[in-house]
Amino acid sequence: MAESAGQVKVNRLAYFYTMPAFFLMGLMIVYPFIYNVVISFSNMNLTHFRDWHITGLGNYLQVVTGSSFWYFFFKTVLWTVVNVIFHVGIGVGLALLLNKDIKGKSIFRTLLILPWAVPQYITALTWRGMFNSEYGAVNLLLDRGLGFTIPWLTTEWGAFAACLITNIWLGFPFMMIIALGGLQSIPDELYEAAEIDGSTWWHKLRHITIPLLRPVMVPAITLGVIWTFNNFNVVWLVSNGGEPSDKTHILVSWIYKSAFTYFRMGYAAAFSMVLFAILLLFSWNFIKKTRATEAVY
Amino acid sequence: MSPFRHKNRRLLAAALLLLIALGLLAGCASDRDNRILVWHSMRPIESDILRQALADFARRYPEYVFDELFYAPETARTNFIISALGGSGPALFWGANDNIGPLVELGVIMPLEEVYSRAFLDSFLVTPLPANTWMDGHLWQIADRVGNHLCLVYNKKLVARPPQTMNELIAFGKTYMAAHQGQQNYYPLVWNYTEPFFAVPFIGGYGGWVMDENNQPTLDQPAVVKAGQLIWELARVHKIIPLECDYEIANALFKDGYAAMIINGSWSWATYLENGIDIGIARIPKIDETGLWPSPAVSPLGYSLNVNLEGKKLEIARELLAWLTAAPLQLRFAEVSGAIPSRVEAFKAPEVTGNPLVSAALDQLLVGRIMPPVTEMRWIWDAMRPSYQGIFTGRVTPEQAARDMQALALKLIKENRE
Repeated sequence: MAESAGQVKVNRLAYFYTMPAFFLMGLMIVYPFIYNVVISFSNMNLTHFRDWHITGLGNYLQVVTGSSFWYFFFKTVLWTVVNVIFHVGIGVGLALLLNKDIKGKSIFRTLLILPWAVPQYITALTWRGMFNSEYGAVNLLLDRGLGFTIPWLTTEWGAFAACLITNIWLGFPFMMIIALGGLQSIPDELYEAAEIDGSTWWHKLRHITIPLLRPVMVPAITLGVIWTFNNFNVVWLVSNGGEPSDKTHILVSWIYKSAFTYFRMGYAAAFSMVLFAILLLFSWNFIKKTRATEAVY
Repeated sequence: MSPFRHKNRRLLAAALLLLIALGLLAGCASDRDNRILVWHSMRPIESDILRQALADFARRYPEYVFDELFYAPETARTNFIISALGGSGPALFWGANDNIGPLVELGVIMPLEEVYSRAFLDSFLVTPLPANTWMDGHLWQIADRVGNHLCLVYNKKLVARPPQTMNELIAFGKTYMAAHQGQQNYYPLVWNYTEPFFAVPFIGGYGGWVMDENNQPTLDQPAVVKAGQLIWELARVHKIIPLECDYEIANALFKDGYAAMIINGSWSWATYLENGIDIGIARIPKIDETGLWPSPAVSPLGYSLNVNLEGKKLEIARELLAWLTAAPLQLRFAEVSGAIPSRVEAFKAPEVTGNPLVSAALDQLLVGRIMPPVTEMRWIWDAMRPSYQGIFTGRVTPEQAARDMQALALKLIKENRE
């Protein structure tokens, strides 16, 4: 006890310097979070926006017993899994290629980062235009090349696929950059030794590259899962707010719609708490099982 | 260096940082204090007029900065609510009066009946529709135009005489499509038909409406089914409208001369004129089965004052609202975009009565249906969208869509009134 009090005294200036950060965190994260918890138990909606009161667990019951939660939860999981698989698959694949001595490597690297460099808003709206069934570039190409078209934005799964394609396009450069960094930190000696031992390309990938990439990729994948799970922009913009028929939503876009279109604040707050719990559980377990932060401690 | 001096330097650095931060905050605050913002959803050519009007007004108060900011209608409403609830937001908010219900219930705009003189308020239209929006005994919005309704806009180069009935429209459409066989993008008619607001005229054409006098939804009825069926048939059976068409695509096809006609509101006409299209305005063609004209939702558009205004800023905003709804400015909007003025003086001016676009818009307005500013209207729009769009994706039949819309509208009203 005395020791820790002494440490506080010694580090007083450090605490003083970090105070603004704590203050801002409290103002921008802790307070809204507590407020969200409180209103999740309330009847705050358009009619009772200023005169709301605590009503108990009603909103949570509505969330878990309503069909929208399970439907959008399924879609969110599907959305996250497919996206992350493609992000990591394409990202690591391209990183492996770029890590070799190929001509014009820097040009390729720059080109492949471009989707990440363009603002999400612009990319999403551009892709939305390209998915128009009659005038969009995607269907024009499909029609000319393969002789068929897909009603991307007017069908439930077409719109979902359109959102997926857009987000895969946006997301793979991040994984590529992370993987490339990881690959460059693997000592060449390990590969040389493996080669002397007669290892095949597959063996080197399995026993050197993948294990040594893991400490870099696991936090990136964890982040990727959380970002994708909560990726509001792409779904909202490509599907124009959940069209068609409010079917193209993931949990976070549905929460936004409930809150800021329907103004069902209490319900949306409860929904977001459930979403928070899901992500907390996932991240906790994932980090624990993969021991991703082990090296930090 | 002695520990004392070292400590002093640290404290000095911390104090300086604090001062800089406070200075920045003070700078932001003073910038906000003398800034008077108008949020609106006017098209660029109208925004230019608004900007000029603000610049003219600014000469009266050189110590203040006057500015305008565009938002799409739905975004404008949401952002205004959020910012006003947070104690800030623009001084003036411009939009259609179907926003008023939610804005009043959330307490983000102020009543205006005490702010303006009786004589001033009496200078606004009462017929063919009341320009100013009253609710629960208070005045909440003062209009700078009335209408905001859909009409049939046609390209005079492509349409000699606008169709008067649906059958005429279909016949014209088939001829037009035959003349452009094998050519992509050509359509006789385009519009943002997947948005419920753009389908409402046809519900009226079949003798229906979306709500009753108690503000309860009336969506599960034959008129709604038939309206949905008609639009579906125009796309799928007669093939005279695109299979997929949102606002931007419809606008682009019309502006580029591919589409002969578009169903759109007065807010869009200035853009067409600016693009050199010789447009004519007509009523949306009559429904042969009922003999009724489609009845678009009509409403005034105007300004409300942010509830957070006070002191000198409130005084200036009050004066600015009167300035922005003055007759000369309304005449300018009528000239440029065909907007129907809300001031009696401007409404009766020869430049308005002699303007063919305004006259035609007024003619359509006469068969329109006044949109009540109650909050239930918002929930009905929101409830219509998913199922109505389902008709065009083949997910539901028009009958099922009407049942689902009604159920969702009742659910939304119940959930929000609990």
